[in-house]
Amino acid sequence: MKANAPSVVIARESGRSSNHRLFKQITGRCLLDAPLSRGMTNLVILAALVAGLLLVAGAFDVVLAQGNPFGGPRPPAAPSLPFGGGVLGWMLAKQAELYLQFRTLIRAAKTDGSAVFSLLAISFIYGIFHAAGPGHGKAVISSYLIANQETWRRGVVLSFASAMVQALVAVGIVGIAAALLGASRSTLCTADWLIEVASYSLIIAVGARLLWIKGRGFLAGLRMRRHEPVPAPVGAAVTDRHEHDHRHDHAHHHGHDHGHSHAHHHDEACDHDHGPDPASLSGPGGWRRGLSAIFAVGLRPCSGAILVLVFALAQGLFWAGAAATFVMGLGTAITVAAIATLAVGARGVAAKLASSRPGYAALAMRGIEVGAAALIILFGLLLLAGYLATERLVGLC
Amino acid sequence: MKILRTLLWSLVPLLAAIGAAQAHPHVWVTTTSELVYAPDGSVTGVRHAWAFDDMFSAFATQGIETKQKGVFTREDLAPLAQVNVDSLKDFDYFTYAKANGKKAEFNGPADYWLDYKNEVLTLHFTLPFKAPVKAQRLDVEVYDPTYFVDFSMAENDPVKLVGAPGQCKLTVVRPTDANVASNGSINEQFFNSLDASSNWGAQFANKISVTCP
Repeated sequence: MKANAPSVVIARESGRSSNHRLFKQITGRCLLDAPLSRGMTNLVILAALVAGLLLVAGAFDVVLAQGNPFGGPRPPAAPSLPFGGGVLGWMLAKQAELYLQFRTLIRAAKTDGSAVFSLLAISFIYGIFHAAGPGHGKAVISSYLIANQETWRRGVVLSFASAMVQALVAVGIVGIAAALLGASRSTLCTADWLIEVASYSLIIAVGARLLWIKGRGFLAGLRMRRHEPVPAPVGAAVTDRHEHDHRHDHAHHHGHDHGHSHAHHHDEACDHDHGPDPASLSGPGGWRRGLSAIFAVGLRPCSGAILVLVFALAQGLFWAGAAATFVMGLGTAITVAAIATLAVGARGVAAKLASSRPGYAALAMRGIEVGAAALIILFGLLLLAGYLATERLVGLC
Repeated sequence: MKILRTLLWSLVPLLAAIGAAQAHPHVWVTTTSELVYAPDGSVTGVRHAWAFDDMFSAFATQGIETKQKGVFTREDLAPLAQVNVDSLKDFDYFTYAKANGKKAEFNGPADYWLDYKNEVLTLHFTLPFKAPVKAQRLDVEVYDPTYFVDFSMAENDPVKLVGAPGQCKLTVVRPTDANVASNGSINEQFFNSLDASSNWGAQFANKISVTCP
């Protein structure tokens, strides 16, 4: 499911351009609108390429999996952990290896305090790798950043804050429920389930709120678009302009002098109609809203952390497990922040691309934002319905 | 076009990360299995003993009340065994059997219990076939399709034939063997693994096969 995310965004984008086509039919505008059709071609190419990228990534993996590139014999497989080849297999193997070291080191820490340092080091590296797996909010955070026009800096802060919340929740649950109250496995499981539902519902709520705001802005933009004069090719200018202006007049019942007031009026409408000012979403006032995203993503603890904590508790070293969980969170945050930064960067490039076609840029970006907001809802729904793989506590609960 | 290329290349690591969105195992199980034969030479079921790793063992036994601290009797663990068996049902007990290449179905476990020794929890249960299987070739695979649970066969005597006719031949293939055997070439499993609904864990299957003339 996650793998479809980028192509969904692109689909949104091309959906936007079909809106244009529709609009062109409505207004009867000249079909020789060269910049637009080139833009559409670009978008089609982009969509095709991005859709094909998974295959590229796959091929990448294939090349790496085919063993020694220098023609020598393939080195023997890792003895104990049977993982598939390629980057994916390697990452899984590394994670499992590190994860297995947790218990060795926690055991060792009972008699040798210095093992705690190794434990923390392992936890950090494990966190970096582990965040590539499901359930650490990469997709939700990335979509949130794209939808909400956030800066990379806020993306990084958001990633770290949600990772810390995640660690805090894990330590809190195991610390309070298990260590203090002696809760059983089934109580832990119920708690985990409740938190999961709350977290996914919150994700849906965050997405819905964004969709409401961005959707309104997008629709307003679409409406505005209808009244915006587009530089038409010279030959077609007269009739085209006439038709267009007529529509404008009709829709607004303003009866202004067309040629003069049009551009001015348009700007006014823009300022007025576009939904909340970006400054109210990012910037100081936005932190309160960012908080909902932090909790939506961070609320659900990762099952690995819970297992490690309970094990540490059973070994009488709960504090070591707690420290490991927080350090693990730091590692996780680094990966999530890196991916979030990429998402923000991709959005920036898209904005640059869009700005090469003035007049459509704002609308295109708003379309992307609406798409990203819709994606957040979709992620939330799929998570809630259990279709999106998370780290379930299978058989454990 | 240059910007477009930049954009696309910036997406590669993103997609690679998304592609890696696959959980590594969190539970390790060491299996010992017995194929139980009836006097007429048919197989009636599979008797498993699954030893969990110590981390999961600690998790599963968390908060269970015992008379003596750290000592869990079969009775103490009975409710947990019930939970295990109940939830395993949704995963087909991670046990997949084929008689002469045709799927053979199991009934629910007939008897099941847990024991706890040296901080290791072991689940014992017998899966009876719906109908006793008499086949020239019987294949039993144990794995978790989602690979949340890593199954590996015990080092020594992981599979026993109980009461089998003398001419039957047992072959055991571990996932590590299989990986080496496939010579590292890319097979359809890799491409399947790109798809969320795939049977990703099957490549880590532990394979038991018995051929009887």
